[in-house]
Amino acid sequence: MTLTTRAGERRRPHIGSHAFLIVLAVAFLAPVVWAVLSAFKPANDIIRHPLAFDPSTFGLDNFIGMFEDVPIWHGFLNTAIVLVLKGSITLFCAPLAAYAFAKYDFPGKNLLFGTVLLTLMLPTIVLIIPLLLEMKELGWVNTYQALVLPGAVDAFAIFWMRQVIAAVPDELLDAGRVDGCGEFGLYWRIVVPIIRPGLAGLAVLTVMNIYNDFVWPVVVASSERMATLQVVLSTLASTISGNKIGADYATVTGELLAASTVALIPLLVIFFLLQKHFINGILAGSVKG
Amino acid sequence: MTTTSLPRPARPRRRGAGLPITRRLAPYVFVAPFVALFLAFGIYPMLFTLRLSFTNWHGAGSAEWVGWDNYTYLLTSPAFWNSLANSAVLWLLIIPVQLVIALAAAILLDNAKLRMRGFYRTAFIVPFVTPLVAVAQIWVVLFDQNYGAVNAVLGALGLPDIAWLTSSEWAKPTLALLFIWKTTGFIVVILLSGLQSIDSTVYEAAELDGAGRLRRIWSITVPLIRRTLMFAIVLQTLAVFQMFAEPFVVTQGGPYSSTTTAGLYLYNHITRGDLGTGAANSFLLVILVMALSLGMVRLLRAKD
Amino acid sequence: MHQRITRVAALGGLAALTLSLTACGPTIGDSDSTADPSKLQAPTEASPSGEITIWDREGDLFEVFDEAIAAFNEKYPDIVVHHEAVDIAAKLQNTLITGSDVPDGVFLDDQLVAGYADHLWDLSDVLAPYADDIAPQKLDVNSQDGGIYGVPFDLDPGLLFYNETALESAGIDAESIETYDDLLEAARAYKEAVPDAGPIHLEQSPFLGQLQLEMYASQLGTAITDADGELRLDSPEYEQILTFLDTVSTEGLGTRAEYLSPTDIETLDAGKQVFYPWALWFDFAPQQLLEDTSGDWRAMPLPAWTDGGARSGAMGGSSFIIPKDGENSELAWLFYEFLMFDEAGYSAVWGPNSVYPEGLNTSIPSYAPAADPSTPLFQPVDAFGGQDLWAIATEAGAEIPGGVPTPSWWAGAVDYLGNNIQLMLDGSLTPEEVIDNSTADIQANLIDRQ
Repeated sequence: MTLTTRAGERRRPHIGSHAFLIVLAVAFLAPVVWAVLSAFKPANDIIRHPLAFDPSTFGLDNFIGMFEDVPIWHGFLNTAIVLVLKGSITLFCAPLAAYAFAKYDFPGKNLLFGTVLLTLMLPTIVLIIPLLLEMKELGWVNTYQALVLPGAVDAFAIFWMRQVIAAVPDELLDAGRVDGCGEFGLYWRIVVPIIRPGLAGLAVLTVMNIYNDFVWPVVVASSERMATLQVVLSTLASTISGNKIGADYATVTGELLAASTVALIPLLVIFFLLQKHFINGILAGSVKG
Repeated sequence: MTTTSLPRPARPRRRGAGLPITRRLAPYVFVAPFVALFLAFGIYPMLFTLRLSFTNWHGAGSAEWVGWDNYTYLLTSPAFWNSLANSAVLWLLIIPVQLVIALAAAILLDNAKLRMRGFYRTAFIVPFVTPLVAVAQIWVVLFDQNYGAVNAVLGALGLPDIAWLTSSEWAKPTLALLFIWKTTGFIVVILLSGLQSIDSTVYEAAELDGAGRLRRIWSITVPLIRRTLMFAIVLQTLAVFQMFAEPFVVTQGGPYSSTTTAGLYLYNHITRGDLGTGAANSFLLVILVMALSLGMVRLLRAKD
Repeated sequence: MHQRITRVAALGGLAALTLSLTACGPTIGDSDSTADPSKLQAPTEASPSGEITIWDREGDLFEVFDEAIAAFNEKYPDIVVHHEAVDIAAKLQNTLITGSDVPDGVFLDDQLVAGYADHLWDLSDVLAPYADDIAPQKLDVNSQDGGIYGVPFDLDPGLLFYNETALESAGIDAESIETYDDLLEAARAYKEAVPDAGPIHLEQSPFLGQLQLEMYASQLGTAITDADGELRLDSPEYEQILTFLDTVSTEGLGTRAEYLSPTDIETLDAGKQVFYPWALWFDFAPQQLLEDTSGDWRAMPLPAWTDGGARSGAMGGSSFIIPKDGENSELAWLFYEFLMFDEAGYSAVWGPNSVYPEGLNTSIPSYAPAADPSTPLFQPVDAFGGQDLWAIATEAGAEIPGGVPTPSWWAGAVDYLGNNIQLMLDGSLTPEEVIDNSTADIQANLIDRQ
């Protein structure tokens, strides 16, 4: 189909590739564009005329209502704090532990890694109550610790980074040892530069996962002061999801779409900034030897 | 193309008394921060849940020990098997399509000369971070049988209406589309990171051989990112079997429980307060998913 | 109301001092030899003070309650109300089970109340002075093993909504409909005049379909279980209801659509769906969503199942629960007591306010003195041609027979009963099979697993 271009991967791509990507991008973006545009429509029109867009009726009512009704600024602040703290812990601890799993042999390794896999496979939802009981014992309900620490080093990150690091040739590590590198030095100076594309990918997915996470924050952050962006969104969403009982779901739908639109903006900014790192990562990755 | 640039499976060093003490201690130091967090917030809740799976507990009072009762109830319940069957069908609908799309997109995005890369990459990621409930609204509108946009297009092409959300045959594909839409970006990022680790000299060598594009992808690219592909497949298998939010917001598991996925079935136990059965259901799911993942890993290994 | 508080305060003053009744839940019962420790008691201070946290869901009601808090503080200036909009479905169960940061009061759907009873105050003592004036159905659905676990909020009487203009142009007089047989006749006549119509709404969401079924059942004074929690689907009443739905379906007299889905809205607005037997809260659609037929709609009491039978049944509704682990449960009770049983309170909720200048007309109070047909709290509605919905709804509400406690597994039954109703509308089950299959499945998977 579109993969028939003769040019190599490092050459300018064929028009067919663009066509494929554009079709895909349109399909992926269309619902989001619908949500963003709808946020400017009168709330009742979103339900009554979901596919009609009349710019003359556009306004900011949903946004104004949303800013009045939900603590979205708290949400931004808390999400930013959690993102920085939790993201740093994940990006530091997970690849380091994964390095040990991939490149060392030590007693207890297989048992430990097996348990990691087990937690990866266990649905989060069953762990909520035990975790919340634990938070209560620690006096951590409604604290940043509770938002940041559980899940800071998730099994997914370890699992993935172990795969990535396993691909680093052992000969490079041996050469490093000969050069007198310490064990952490091997990781920091040899492994990290090679796995940079993987780290960049992990950074992107970690940011997205933290940004998206709502099951745990909704439960553990009960006050508005501690609400993350997703908690704010889920407060709106819970009113309209399910069975539409009650009268006000048009209004709340409008506010939800407005909140979703506002919530997308910082993410696009973060993503744009990470993008540069991403490209640096590629360069670093491709000059490795 | 040099041998050192070819990734190969990890070959951990054998345990040896001859190794310096720093080298024997290093891995423990490296995993220590992780293990501390893992013991506190991973192992403890997991053991709690394991214990819970042998009790009848609805959240109040003390839990009553019921042995294997929850497990036997589930294993003899048609609804449990139905939820697994639903997830299995969704798996078949989702994984092949998603992998092909994601791989094609990732290979194209891996090209440094591609214009608008940032735009495309963002476009694929945005669905992942758009709140599901906001999206569910448009899904219901697009796929309404009588007034939806999709059927309008089909009608214009002279095709018959499809009961996308209200018939048990079509609800699964509709849900699969939502899931593919929502999570493909995630897979693209993972595959892309794998592709970016491939040394470009590999391609140059192959080009000199005059290998065609598709053949090169199949015989060079795919084997080189085999691990990454395997990882993506295992991850998506997990995600498909644990999926509950998508059917919850779009179909509530209907019509006729045809979209009650394994994840939603489990979720329902828990939200209805039947925590013991929910816990047992989770472990059954873990066993199943683990078996599936191992099977797939074997299968892919065999292809080498 | 105000006098009551002061009287109780005067009588109990000494006791309050000696027993040092504080705002602290369980200790009160312990120190009083006659009271059951699981039953909440009202505070006895003349001017109670403290802070309470109240959970509501986001939306119009949140704003309405917000204004009512201001009125509450005029009466109780020393009680600080922290009013929070939260995702109750996701949070309540976890919070109650773990006892972490438990709110003092929560707004909750009636069908969910019984499921949390273990964690909630039994309110039968505090509700006792009002019980005779509360719609019996509302007290009954919130009961479990003799205790009452919710302060009844709204009553949601089922009404027959109909498109008067469309029916008139087909020569049908809806006012003359008195029984469901009459309704079938009218639907057949309308179908004759408008062949592409499906005059009667048939609900396609299994959950709402089951909720509507319970509305019909409530009209007949029955429910999915009896007072002892035994299933009673296998009864002439359910057979009658299901046969009616089956008739609508097989004769092509219905439009099958999910409540307010695109198909539903479009057919309502095109005059293809002209009868909508639903709770009062459907009135929001003609007011806000329908365009071409807004103003054409009217409401009347539901048809009766038998001549002279009740003309309404309850569908949905919410209550306020007070968790035992809350810090100031008594003050939360004072808040809800004010909101529901004090004229200043219920007028603030249903009367004109800044959210609804004409009053909140999607439900009516469940407390009889507040739901007086002759003293409306909300105004006639334009979308209903200026019809006095208040009078129609309150009169219908007064006809709702008493109910029984909602079983805690009610929502779980949707997988069986709710789905089987849909299968019947598909034509693949008979009413008898719906009853038999649902009874067997609910017994095995829900009741026996409790």
